[in-house]
Amino acid sequence: MKKINKTGISRRQFTLSALVGGAVVAMNPTLAAAKSDKKLRLGFISPRTGHLGAFGETDPFVLSQVRQALANGLTINNVNYDIEILDRDSQSDPSRAGQLAKDLINNENIDFMLATVAPETINPVSDACEAAGIPCLSAVMPWEAWYFGRGAKPGQPSPFKWTYHFSFGVDEFYKTYISQWSLIKTNKKVGVMYPNDADGNAIRTFLKPKLEAAGYTIVDPGAYETGTSDFSSQIALFKREGIEIFNAFPIPSDFAALWRQAAQQGLTRQIKIAQIARTGLFPSDIEALGGLGNNLASACYWHKDFPYRSPLTGQTGTQLCDLYEAQTSKQWTQQIGACLSLFDAAMETLKTSIDPKNKVNVAMAMRKLNVSTIAGQVDFTSGPVPNVASAPIIGTQWVKSKKGPFQFDYLITENATDRNVPVTHKLTPYNA
Amino acid sequence: MTNQIIQAILLGGYYALIACGLSFMFSVMKIINLAHGSLLVFAGYLLWFFAEHYHISPFVGLLIVIPVMMLIGWALQAFLLEKSARGGELLPILTTFGLAIVIENLLFEHFGANTRSLAPYIGDLSWESWELFSGFYVGKTSVYILIAAIVILGSLQLFMKKTALGRQIRATAHDPDTAGIVGINPKRASAIATALAMSTVAVSGLALGVRGVFDAYSGGPQLLFAFEATIIGGVGSLWGTLIGGIILAFAQTIGANIHPQGFLLGGHILFIIILLIRLILAKGGVGHRLKFALGVSK
Repeated sequence: MKKINKTGISRRQFTLSALVGGAVVAMNPTLAAAKSDKKLRLGFISPRTGHLGAFGETDPFVLSQVRQALANGLTINNVNYDIEILDRDSQSDPSRAGQLAKDLINNENIDFMLATVAPETINPVSDACEAAGIPCLSAVMPWEAWYFGRGAKPGQPSPFKWTYHFSFGVDEFYKTYISQWSLIKTNKKVGVMYPNDADGNAIRTFLKPKLEAAGYTIVDPGAYETGTSDFSSQIALFKREGIEIFNAFPIPSDFAALWRQAAQQGLTRQIKIAQIARTGLFPSDIEALGGLGNNLASACYWHKDFPYRSPLTGQTGTQLCDLYEAQTSKQWTQQIGACLSLFDAAMETLKTSIDPKNKVNVAMAMRKLNVSTIAGQVDFTSGPVPNVASAPIIGTQWVKSKKGPFQFDYLITENATDRNVPVTHKLTPYNA
Repeated sequence: MTNQIIQAILLGGYYALIACGLSFMFSVMKIINLAHGSLLVFAGYLLWFFAEHYHISPFVGLLIVIPVMMLIGWALQAFLLEKSARGGELLPILTTFGLAIVIENLLFEHFGANTRSLAPYIGDLSWESWELFSGFYVGKTSVYILIAAIVILGSLQLFMKKTALGRQIRATAHDPDTAGIVGINPKRASAIATALAMSTVAVSGLALGVRGVFDAYSGGPQLLFAFEATIIGGVGSLWGTLIGGIILAFAQTIGANIHPQGFLLGGHILFIIILLIRLILAKGGVGHRLKFALGVSK
C-alpha cells in the first residue's frame, strides 16, 4: 500500500507537483505572490447587539465587501499576504470588549486590531492593545474621550505608542453647529438637554462655553438622568425663555418621551432648529418619532454623498449604499462608510509598512499615515494631538421623502468641516 | 407649577395603568410577577408587529393582542405559577424572575436592537394636545391613558365585588382548599385571574409604545415603576394603585424640581419612606412586619 500523507497526495506525486509548481512559480513572479502562505490576522471588534446594536447592524455587509476585495490577498512590497479578519461582537459592553481584545491578542495571535463605535468598545480595546504592544486603529467616537479619557494630559507628549484613532471631536461639533445655526435667522437662544453621562458631561464641559463665546445664549436646565419619564419642568423653562434653537444629546428612548411631551405642550411650535445628536443617526430612530421626526437637524460622520472612493473596494459612497439597499431592502446608514473607511485606512497602513508582520513597523506606518478613504482624508501627520487624526462632522436634516422607498431622506445642509462634501439641501425651519 | 401638577397626575395615570396587572396578581394571588415588565414589552412588540407588517392600528391590534395575552396568562398560571406556588412563597418570585430573562433575550433574538414605538402608527395623536387654559396643555394620549387606568381599575373592582366569578377568585385567593370544598375549582379561578391580569398588560403595552419607545430590555424600569405604585398604594386595593401611581409621579416631579437629576430618585426615596413608616407602625415579629410593610398581610 502506498504511503499517503495528510492531504491525501502520495509522496511521489507531491515531489513531482512541487517541482513543476516551483518551475512555474520561478517563471511567473505574480503567481509566486499568490501562492505565498504568508498570512496577516486582523481583529475587528464592534457592537452588533446591545444598546449600540444599531451601529453594528451593517457590519456583516461591510465585512462581506472587504473580504470580497481581499479574496486574492493583499500585495505589500511585492509579497502577497492572505488577510484573515476575525470579527467579534462587543455586545455594547466595555468589559466584554476588553475580554475579546485580550482573547484575540493572546489566543488568536492577531497582527493588527481594528475597533469602532463609542467609548464602550474602543477604549477597552485600545487599552488592551496598548498594554500588549499590538497596533490598533479605531474610528467613530469623539477623540477627546479617547485621548484624554484614557489618561493623556493636555500639553504633554502622547503616552500612546500602539494605538491610533481618527474621528470627529468637540471642535467639529462646534464648527458644524455654528455653520448650521447661521443658516436660519433666530434669536440665538439655545435650549440644551445634555444627560448625566460620559457624552453629555463632555459636551457640557467643552462645547457649551464655546457656543456661549460665539454669541449664543445657552438655557441649560442641568443634567438629567437617563430614564426620566417626565420633562415638564425643563419644557416649561424653555418656553419661558423663548428658545428658538434646541440642542440635545439624548438616547432614543429619552428623546421620544421628551420630544412628544414638548410637542404636546407647544414647545416645538417655537423651535426653528432642533439639532439632535446621538439619537437621529439612524433612520429607525427618526421613523419611531412619526411626524415629529420631520425636519429634525442632525450631524453625520459619514454620508453616501461624500465625494470619495474606497481605495480597498473601489466603490463610491452611493455605489456602496445602493448595493446595501438592494441586498437588504433596508435604508443605508452612516456607519457603512465609517466602517469601510476604517478598513481602507488599515489596509493602507499595512501597505505602507516596511514589514506588515512586524508590529513596530505597522505602528510607525500609522504615525505617518496620510491617505484618502471613502470617508475622506485620514491624516495622522497633522492631527490635533499625536495619535489622533480629526475627521469631519457634516450638518444634515431628516426630511420626509417625496420619492420613497424609505420614509425619510437624510440630506446634507452644510459642510464647514469638509468643503469637498456637496450641500444638497437648504435647512428648513423645524416649525415651518 | 399648576402645569407640573397636571402633568404629574397624568403621569400617575400611566403608572397606575402599568401597575394594574401587577397589583391584581399580587393582591388576588399573592404572586409578585417579576416578568410583568417583560410581558408588557412583549405585548408592545406584538402590537408593533401587527402595525408594521399588516398595517393594523395598535388600537385595533388590541383586539388580537388582548386574547393572546389572556391565553398566555392562562398557560402561565396552569403550567408554571400553579406548580411553583406549591413550593413556598419564594419560588414563584424566582420563577417569574427567570421568565423575565428568558422573554427579554428571546425578544432581542427575534426583534433585534432597534428601538420601536407605536406612535408612528397612530398618526399625530401621539403628540396632539388640548389647551386647557392659556399656556396649559395636556397631551391627548396622556389623558386617554389616565381614563384607561380609571376604567380598568374600576371594572376590575366591580368585577371582583359584584360577580360570582369575582367572588370565586377572592375565595380561592383567601383559602384555596376551603374554596374547593364549596364547589369552586381553584385552578380555574386562578387561571382566569391571571388571564385578566394579562389582558391589562396588553393595554399597558399599548400605553408604553404610544408614550415612548421600547426595546427588548425596556421591561425593567416599567416593572420598577409598577411595583412602586402598587406598594405605595397599598396591596389589596385596586383604587389604591391609582393613588399610588399619582403619588409616585408627584414624588418624581418634586424630585426633579429640587434637582434636574432628582426625578427617579424622588420616587425611590418616597417608596422607601413609605416602607419604613409601615415597618414602624406594624406590630409583631420581623417577618410579620415585613409582610405588613409590603402589604402581603392585613
